[in-house]
Amino acid sequence: MNLDNNETRLGEVVETSTTGFVTQCYQLYGAPALGALVKSGGPHPAYGVVHHVATQGIDPTRRPVARGQNEATEEDVYKSNPQLAHLLRTDFQAVVVGHSTDDGIRYHLPPTPPPIYAFVHLCSNEEVVKFTANPAFLRPLATSNIIALEEVVASCLRYVASMHEDTEKFLTGAGKQLAAFFPGDFRRVETILQRAIS
Amino acid sequence: MSLDLHKIAGQIQDVASDLNANEGDRESRLERALSTLTSAQPEALEKKRVKSRANFSPIAGLGESMAGRYPYPALPSDYTVLAVDGSHIDVDRHLAVQCYLINMGTVHIRYGLNPEARLGSEPRLYTDEDSMHIIDPEGNRTQSLEGQLLGELRAVEELRTLATLAKETDPDIPALALIDGSLILWGLVGQTYPDFVRRVLMDDIYLPALDELREMAKQRPLALASYISLPRSADVVNVLRLDAHQCPYDVSNCDDHCGSLRPGQRPCDAVSGVVDRDVLGSLLDGEERSDSFINTSVTVERYYGEHAVHFYYLNAGAEMARVEVPAWVAESPELLELSHAMLIDQCRKGHGYPIAISEAHEQAVVTTKDREEFQLMLEGALQDHRLPVYTSQKNFSKRMKWL
Repeated sequence: MNLDNNETRLGEVVETSTTGFVTQCYQLYGAPALGALVKSGGPHPAYGVVHHVATQGIDPTRRPVARGQNEATEEDVYKSNPQLAHLLRTDFQAVVVGHSTDDGIRYHLPPTPPPIYAFVHLCSNEEVVKFTANPAFLRPLATSNIIALEEVVASCLRYVASMHEDTEKFLTGAGKQLAAFFPGDFRRVETILQRAIS
Repeated sequence: MSLDLHKIAGQIQDVASDLNANEGDRESRLERALSTLTSAQPEALEKKRVKSRANFSPIAGLGESMAGRYPYPALPSDYTVLAVDGSHIDVDRHLAVQCYLINMGTVHIRYGLNPEARLGSEPRLYTDEDSMHIIDPEGNRTQSLEGQLLGELRAVEELRTLATLAKETDPDIPALALIDGSLILWGLVGQTYPDFVRRVLMDDIYLPALDELREMAKQRPLALASYISLPRSADVVNVLRLDAHQCPYDVSNCDDHCGSLRPGQRPCDAVSGVVDRDVLGSLLDGEERSDSFINTSVTVERYYGEHAVHFYYLNAGAEMARVEVPAWVAESPELLELSHAMLIDQCRKGHGYPIAISEAHEQAVVTTKDREEFQLMLEGALQDHRLPVYTSQKNFSKRMKWL
C-alpha cells in the first residue's frame, strides 16, 4: 500500500466518470480552493481542476439545524457538538484536464477514469507549474459544461499564475489559448482574464 | 385495499370530542394529585404503602421527601457521555435462512477542552443453532430467540456494550453512560419464559455488566442512567391514591374494601387517570429534577440486588422525562447531580432530547430499505454457493402484487 504524500492527500474518489470525479474529503471543510489542481491515483492518474465544493449531512435525510444561538463563535458550535465533524462531509468535484503516463503528461482524457476510492492529492507547486506550462491544459476545462465556467477558469488561472515565475507571460499564453476556444467572443476572454488578475 | 380513511375519520372526531369533554375532569384530578403530593407526609404514606395490598401498582418507594425540587446543578467543564442503542432484524420464518441481526449503535462524545466524538455501529448476524436458542445450562431445555425475547437480548447486549465503552473512556473526567428506555427488563420477567432464560440473560450478562459499571463508578465519577421520553408510568400517582385524602382506610386492601365497586367509583379514583409526568410536570420548573423514588416492583426487588432501580423525573424543557438510575447512583449525591446536570446539557444540545442517545439511534437504525437489501444479500450469498433459495408462498405472494 502506498502511503506516500499523506500530507497532501485530500480524500478519495466516491463518484467517477470519464470527464470528472467527486472526492470525499477526509477533513470536514478540507476541500482545496476553487480552481486548484488535484491528481488522482489509479492506473491512469488523472489531473483535475476543482470546480465545485459542497458540504452537507452524510445522511441526506438529516438536515442541519441552527445550533449556535447561545455560542460566541462559529467555532464554538463545533466544539460544543463534537459529533458534527462525523455527521457532515465535504465533497469537491473536479473536471479532468489531463493525465499522467509513464512517458509524461497528456493533455487529453485518460483511457479509463480514476477508480472509486482512488486517493486524491493536492498537486505541489512544482507539479502545478510543470502541468500548466502548456496552456493546452485549459482545453478540457474551457470546453466543459460545468456551471459558472468563467468563474472557475478565472479561479484556476489566478491559482496557477501565482506559482509561475513570469505571471504575465503565463496569463498571455492562457489568454491566447482561451481566444482559440472562444472564437469571436473576445469579451468573454477579457472577462475571464480580468477576474484572473483581480 | 389499504386502510379506508373515510370510514375512520368519524371515529377520530369522536375521540377528539370525548377528550375535550373529559379535560375539565382531568384537571381536577391533577390538582388533587398535586395537592396530595405537596401536603402528604412521605414517611406515613410510605408506611401505609408497605402494609397495603393494592390492586394498582403503588411501586414508588418514598424517602424523606417526595415533593422536592432540585435546580440544574453545576455542569463539569469537561465531561464524557456514552450512549448505546440497538436495533434488530427479527427471525422471519418466511426467509430462506433462519437468522437474526443485531445492530449496535455506539456514541462517545467528550466535551470541554479537548472535544472529540466517536460514533459507530456494529452489526452482527446470528445464524448458528446455539444463537437461535437460549439453552438451559443445567439441562436440555431450549427457548427460541425471536420476537419479544430477541428484544430483551438486545437490551441486555446494549448494557454489555455500554460497560465495554465505559472501560475505554478517560477515567479522569466525569462520565455519563446512557441507555434509551428502562433499566428494568420488564419483558423478561413479566412473561412466561422458563426461569433459565432469565438466569442466562440477566444473571449471566445483564447483572455482571451492571457490576462492572458499579466497580468503575467506585474508582471514577461515572453515572449510569436510562432515559424514558414521554413516560406513561403512574408509580408515584398510585402511591398518592393510598393517601388518606383518597383512601380512608388505615391499611388499604382493594379487594376487601372496594372489591364491589367498579373502576371510577372507588374513593381513590379521585386521582386516577393522571400519570406521574402530569403531576411532577406541574411541580417542577424548567431543568429541575424531582426527588428520587425507589422501584419496589417484585421484578426489581427479587432480581436486581445492589442495582435496585431508582427513578426521578426531569423537566427537560420540552418534556418531562423519567430517569432511571441504579441504587449506587441514586445514593451518591455527586453521581445523582452529575446525571442531572449532564442530562440537561444533553437535552439542550439535542433540542429537548439527549443528543447522544439520538445519535446512537441514528447509528443503529435499520431502515425498511436496509431490511430489503439484507434479504437480497442473503439470498444472493446462497445462490453464489448454489444453495436452494426458497421462501414461503405467503412471502412470495406479498412480493408479487398481481391482479
